[in-house]
Amino acid sequence: MAKGFFTDTTVCIGCKACEVACKQWNQLPDDGLIFTGMSYDNTVELSATTWRHVEFIERPVALSGQETGLGQFSWLLMSDVCKHCQRAGCLEACPTGAIVRTEFDSVYVQPDICNGCGYCVVGCPFGVIDRNEEDGRAWKCTLCYDRLQDGMEPACAKACPTDSIVFGELDDLKQQAHDRVETLHERGMTEAYLYGVDEASQPGTEGLNAFFLLVDEPEVYNLPPDPVVPTKKVGRAWSSMAAACLALAAGAVASVVAGRSR
Amino acid sequence: MSSGSEPGYYNRPVLKEPVWIWAVPAYFVVGGAAGAAAALGAAAEIADRESFGGLIKTCRRIAATGLVVGSALLIYDLGRPGRFFNMLRVFRPTSPLNVGSWLLAAATPCAALSAVSEGSIGQLAGLSAGALGLPITGYTAVLLANTAVPVWQEMGAALPASFVASAAVSAASLLEMTELSEEEAIAVRVFAVTSKCCESIAATVVERRARAVPEVGRALDSPRAKGLLSLARISVGVAAVMSLVSGKSRAGRRAAGLLGTIGAAAHKFGVFYAGEASARDPQATFAQRS
Repeated sequence: MAKGFFTDTTVCIGCKACEVACKQWNQLPDDGLIFTGMSYDNTVELSATTWRHVEFIERPVALSGQETGLGQFSWLLMSDVCKHCQRAGCLEACPTGAIVRTEFDSVYVQPDICNGCGYCVVGCPFGVIDRNEEDGRAWKCTLCYDRLQDGMEPACAKACPTDSIVFGELDDLKQQAHDRVETLHERGMTEAYLYGVDEASQPGTEGLNAFFLLVDEPEVYNLPPDPVVPTKKVGRAWSSMAAACLALAAGAVASVVAGRSR
Repeated sequence: MSSGSEPGYYNRPVLKEPVWIWAVPAYFVVGGAAGAAAALGAAAEIADRESFGGLIKTCRRIAATGLVVGSALLIYDLGRPGRFFNMLRVFRPTSPLNVGSWLLAAATPCAALSAVSEGSIGQLAGLSAGALGLPITGYTAVLLANTAVPVWQEMGAALPASFVASAAVSAASLLEMTELSEEEAIAVRVFAVTSKCCESIAATVVERRARAVPEVGRALDSPRAKGLLSLARISVGVAAVMSLVSGKSRAGRRAAGLLGTIGAAAHKFGVFYAGEASARDPQATFAQRS
């Protein structure tokens, strides 16, 4: 059965329990104690050793349907993660077959196969997967493949105190997400929408198994507005390569013929 | 949307930068040169084996050296070099890197065999290396176009033509720097002038394609890319004229070869570093056309 995450950013409180639970369960090293000045975000980005990343967006815009003492201000908090795309750029780029689709429809990197070629890193339109320079291999969220095999939910979803991260069967999640958007719209938060819920809303990836409920443009969350798996666009490059190679062959033959005829 | 002039999240990149080091663009150069040399050698083999004996031998040597060195560069770049053979674990046509690995695995032994043997074995190996060398000159461009990096994606269908032409320039320029008989010199000159002119045009088209979206095209103006691409444009242009007018001057031919070698390499390194700059620029990702 296809499993995934529905991350509802409107109930995220920015506690970073997901980040901590992920690091602990997957035994990921810390990334150093740094102070970025980017609001409360000292995690910075998803990386080979960070598979959940909570973003802190301070907006000089109020959320519609909400009244606060802050006036024209609102927090947007979002726990970012690998999207486990239906058409996954990393998987289609992987030359070794290290990256596979599992029985849970998630995208998983087999660490015993990966040879660290780095092609998946540039294949991901979301900038998720990265190479760990210490062990030379590519890493990203596994959707807690080991926990799933034992019938448990991923560590981040388990730790999330507000159910901003919901784990479950994809069909149920989609239903729940559509219901949530409807509820928010009824309450006046008309900007709420789903990012990557299905192929219709995101044809470039044919939908994400880890999708999001957002209340502003994707760019505000540092998400690409229109991500496309690279292989969808590359057909013409293959054809033009074939034509250029034929031209090279013709040019080579013509050159030697020109030399001989003297 | 935040009040700042440009959208985004603290101006953080959306994409990850390529993790590849200099060895990868260096492979694009030597692998391309080897592929084109193998193709030219095979063409000479078919046309007239007797009069082009020396040229064929030189082509075979360039092909063998380039493919062996190129494979070594690629293995050196891996995070786990000891696992390079995992590249041949599967056949995955969606991955130009996988397709290229198979091509390289087939072409390298053929080229090496052709360089060390003569007679019909050498001939068969040389012809096989030539046929396999053709796609090796161009698949690296498809490999770059098949990424999420905005400037490489935008170059798209124009990039393979420039990489194939650049590979031909590399091979022709190396040959211009070797000893050639009169007939061979003419053949090499025709090949050199043609490929240098094609490369000049293809590089211009690539740049124009990349600049169709201003936020994407500005990666070409990043310091390293700009310098290298300008160097490439000037070197290849001047080298084309020099190849044309050098006549029987051996020094002129060598200078044309040296400039062509530099120009062809600078083009591929320039395209590579433009990609790094483009991946760092979130506005390029946001503006990218789907």
